[in-house]
Amino acid sequence: MYWLSGGFVFKRVVSPFNRLDPRVRLLIAAEFFLLSLMAQTIWQIVLLVGAILAISAVARSLRRIGRAVAFSGVFALFIFGVNFVLGLGLLHAILYAARFLAIISSTSVFFVTTSPDELEQIMKWMGFPRDVVFAFVTAVRFIPVVMLDASQIMDAQKSRGLEFEKGSLLKRAKNLVPILVPLVVNSVVRSGELAEAMESRAYGSTPRPTSLYAMRATWYDWAACVLSLALATAAGLYIYHHFPFG
Amino acid sequence: MSARTSGPGRKTLASVERLSFRYPDSARAAVRDVTLEVGEGEVVLLAGPSGCGKSTLLRCINGLIPHMYHGEYQGRVVVGGLEVAKTPMSTLSENVGFLFQNPENQIFMFSVERDVAFGLQNLSVPREEMRTRVDEAMRLLGVSNLATRAPHELSDGQKQRTALAGVVAMRPRLVILDEPTSLLDPKTALEVAELIGRLNRELGITFIIVEHRLELLVPLAHRLVVMEGGSKVLDGAPEEVLSDPRVESYGVNVPPISRLYTSLARDGIRLPRNPSTPEELAQEINDL
Repeated sequence: MYWLSGGFVFKRVVSPFNRLDPRVRLLIAAEFFLLSLMAQTIWQIVLLVGAILAISAVARSLRRIGRAVAFSGVFALFIFGVNFVLGLGLLHAILYAARFLAIISSTSVFFVTTSPDELEQIMKWMGFPRDVVFAFVTAVRFIPVVMLDASQIMDAQKSRGLEFEKGSLLKRAKNLVPILVPLVVNSVVRSGELAEAMESRAYGSTPRPTSLYAMRATWYDWAACVLSLALATAAGLYIYHHFPFG
Repeated sequence: MSARTSGPGRKTLASVERLSFRYPDSARAAVRDVTLEVGEGEVVLLAGPSGCGKSTLLRCINGLIPHMYHGEYQGRVVVGGLEVAKTPMSTLSENVGFLFQNPENQIFMFSVERDVAFGLQNLSVPREEMRTRVDEAMRLLGVSNLATRAPHELSDGQKQRTALAGVVAMRPRLVILDEPTSLLDPKTALEVAELIGRLNRELGITFIIVEHRLELLVPLAHRLVVMEGGSKVLDGAPEEVLSDPRVESYGVNVPPISRLYTSLARDGIRLPRNPSTPEELAQEINDL
């Protein structure tokens, strides 16, 4: 499961795609996302996924995107099954499942190439309140820490004889209580210590904090922005003219 | 690690005057009638058993008490001419840095350099100046080569140095360290102790340090203060305090070298002073 979830985790890579301003990467991912929603035939989806995979290859993240798709495979099968059972037909069931995978791979392209720091900068640029951005950043920052906490608590409870994998579904759910309680307590204690450290480093002392880095779009970013917008608009118009909605 | 030189006639940087503090949900005061003066450039070690009020006293000095934690507060704390209770935390944070026990809980950002810049961002330091101060702090703490690393890619020692770099970048005159080596292995703890000594010598930063492993920091310290039950019970040069017959009864973990000094004295071998390093001990025995 951890290996599969790596399809959404950022990894620092040097590539022409990663060199782009994060806002341009977000724009490209959003374009793919919208086109995936608009696509009306399986061939259109196949073309879209092909384009996403080509960009993933340029971003040297093909394997990670593949992991995201594999991770989402179960959900895609579920979507296929539900649509097929509801009598929408085989082709529509495949279309909806494939569209879901296209959406997943387009979001994955953005997340595997964008560091949490860049995400923070984008959120600030979009005008999110500082406290909201900081809460988001802190939540993401502490995911590995809380995962490590959970793993240590599980090991400690296992060494005391607690068996997680035995019993009925209800029993297994109950078995999670001895993990969740210390995990929540640890997190509450941690949040208190974080608050102290934030206060000690002047958090909130000014309404307009400065930043070590600024996002600056270069000609390279503008060129990618214009090119991607042109291609996405052309693809959108093609779909709209040949398969008008409604 | 070189032995410290005591500094008579130092200008007072921080003073605690008859301070008492009781948390709202507690029956007794965590700090009781404590008076303490810390000179500019001094390294003051604070020792005592758990629950004796050390951490509360530190929080009174950096302003977390009474600004963040409210309770029954009596007395006065002044740091760098600013009365702590009447000065906003943002102003205090430029004068007093605080390094907490667990570095994991004070690294907020996803890369070392951005975390070092965190406090400066909050103080609205212009970008160019911020860059200079971040680079300088990372160089001093030896984390320049880790600038783009994420916190989960760092060892405990690297995390502690990153957190300290974030404090040093704000250029405080006084840095408070709450058990800075308690989560570190002996080798890394020694490295951190050496760093503290270097920051004190090269930048003249004043330190107040709570530490149980006294043998690590006694060689750097100008003073050792012992607390018990919320009160200050001993205060003086480390060699004097560690030679005091009451010191162990206050729950202080006396370093092995000081034990040896006391034991030699009991057997009639009087060394000129209580040594803080094996080298000093060897020298004193040699000089007999």
